[in-house]
Amino acid sequence: MKRSRQINLDVMRKTASVPSVKILTAAIGGVIALTACSSNTQEAKIYRTLQECKQQNVEKAESCDAAYQHALKASTRTAPKYRSEYDCESEFGRNGCQVNQASGSSWFMPTMAGFMLGQALTRNNSCPYGYYNTRWGCHASQPVYTGSGSMYGGWYGADGTHYGSTRSRTARVGSKAFKPKPTATRTMSRGGFGSTVAAKSWSSRASSSSRSWGG
Amino acid sequence: MQRISTVERPNWQQLAREYGFKFHTMHGETYWDESAYYSFDLKQIEEDLEDPTEEIHQMCLQVVERVVSDEELLRKFQIPQKYWEQINYSWKMQEPSLYSRIDLAYNGKNPAKLYENNADTPTSLYETGFWQWLWLDDNIKSGKLAESSDQFNSLQEKLIDRFQQISRSKLGETLHFACCKDTEEDRGTVQYMEDCAKQAGIRCKFVYVEDIGHGEGDFLTDFDDQVITWMFKLYPWEFMFQEEFGPLLLDADVSFLEPWWKCILSNKALLPMLWKMFPDHPNLLPAYFEEDMARADLTDYVKKPIFSREGSNISIVENGKTLHESEGPYGEEGYIYQSYYPLPKFKGSHTLIGSWLIDGQAAGISVREDRNIITQDLSRYLPHIITG
Repeated sequence: MKRSRQINLDVMRKTASVPSVKILTAAIGGVIALTACSSNTQEAKIYRTLQECKQQNVEKAESCDAAYQHALKASTRTAPKYRSEYDCESEFGRNGCQVNQASGSSWFMPTMAGFMLGQALTRNNSCPYGYYNTRWGCHASQPVYTGSGSMYGGWYGADGTHYGSTRSRTARVGSKAFKPKPTATRTMSRGGFGSTVAAKSWSSRASSSSRSWGG
Repeated sequence: MQRISTVERPNWQQLAREYGFKFHTMHGETYWDESAYYSFDLKQIEEDLEDPTEEIHQMCLQVVERVVSDEELLRKFQIPQKYWEQINYSWKMQEPSLYSRIDLAYNGKNPAKLYENNADTPTSLYETGFWQWLWLDDNIKSGKLAESSDQFNSLQEKLIDRFQQISRSKLGETLHFACCKDTEEDRGTVQYMEDCAKQAGIRCKFVYVEDIGHGEGDFLTDFDDQVITWMFKLYPWEFMFQEEFGPLLLDADVSFLEPWWKCILSNKALLPMLWKMFPDHPNLLPAYFEEDMARADLTDYVKKPIFSREGSNISIVENGKTLHESEGPYGEEGYIYQSYYPLPKFKGSHTLIGSWLIDGQAAGISVREDRNIITQDLSRYLPHIITG
């Protein structure tokens, strides 16, 4: 048979009600990323464990606690989420995933394999967007994961950004690396898309209400 | 391949209301036309359309591979420099694509010839994946068509599967759908996409392109100030590149469907590139960039703007004489030239085949007819069958 075997007509009917699908709370994670040659980069440190961070920063052990907690929280919120353990493990390796639960559903997500710590200078006495204030200046941290298969041996961010080899404990990262991922934010302006359509509506069919901008 | 006149289903208008198919009549003219249908045999479908469609797609991907890292070609494709890196990255990361429609001139006998690739914002999806499927189903049930009749159309099934695949790492994430205001056709197409995504278990939300916001922290926001992280847009990349919020896309961390790299395929510069890389391929028409025309020796050709939609700004030249010219707002970015290969005529209508792909898999066809030699968005859509 060269056609769809079955189509659920009830779902397609617009006059009947469509059953809604129950899904988990929002998770974020685009796949668009920074590049090494972007101008606004910094050197970030990567630690596998909280202990490792403290050993290397004896005087600022507290800053490690904050960074670790911050990354762990971000991981729960922003790590990619999978319905099946198999799907998750095929990207993050055997034992690379954990099960999580919330409001009656459960899912699989990669286990944080380390955290990445970045620093920034204060601007006008406050930290840049996404950084928090500490006694040692503005800090930011994000979870990192290790991959399997073609991703084996690399550090990866929650959005899939590659941060170099796990042999290295530093990564040159762009400004987006520590950008927080809110689910809502204040909208400063609208209408920045759609102007081409207005400009390209021409005479005979400008008044039409049906023409497509596709093709 | 035959055009066969038939009797309309008596209740089809009512069904259209029931299923929310609002644009079956546009500008007071018939768009969905079931007073006839096209009939193919299985060999025509599989050997002449299905296989070449997948092969053409693979050739197109090779063009992308070549163009994304070549500055001179990116310039020829009229892609603004500030987006090059992102497009290249999107390709290297193999960001998933959902669908494409390639337009073919096919008469049932000779090899199908590629007219163009609608790889970024193809429409007539609903009519194809659902509405013509329903037409066949109804006609088999009522006994008007043989039980063994089939259709080359697994579009909806494959689309839902593909959504499921893409959403594997995005459990719980909201997929925003966007198109422009004031177009029933686009809104209907996007609604259909949403319906398919929902059946794949994805949470969906709609926002008009014009209502997309610039959120604090350089995000895209919807009308409720929710941050957009994953978006299907029925809005061309080349429009977005030119508009005020274009540069914001570089910071906004959004996964797009179609992905960035599709801007190379929906571009008419694809056609001369294909001919350069795969000369004399049976499914390709000779095509040239402006600067290669002098050596090209084309007497009968079609001149197409690099960015053009729905058959706008196209001229057909035969022996140096312009036979036909369609008006429109495109062309300022330059033209390409393609050898003129007229559409076949069936009972007085010029017939164009749209051949669909879900990712890299051929998934069905749509048949459109036009009284003119250039198919525009006032053409009629006719269903088809495969005779059993």
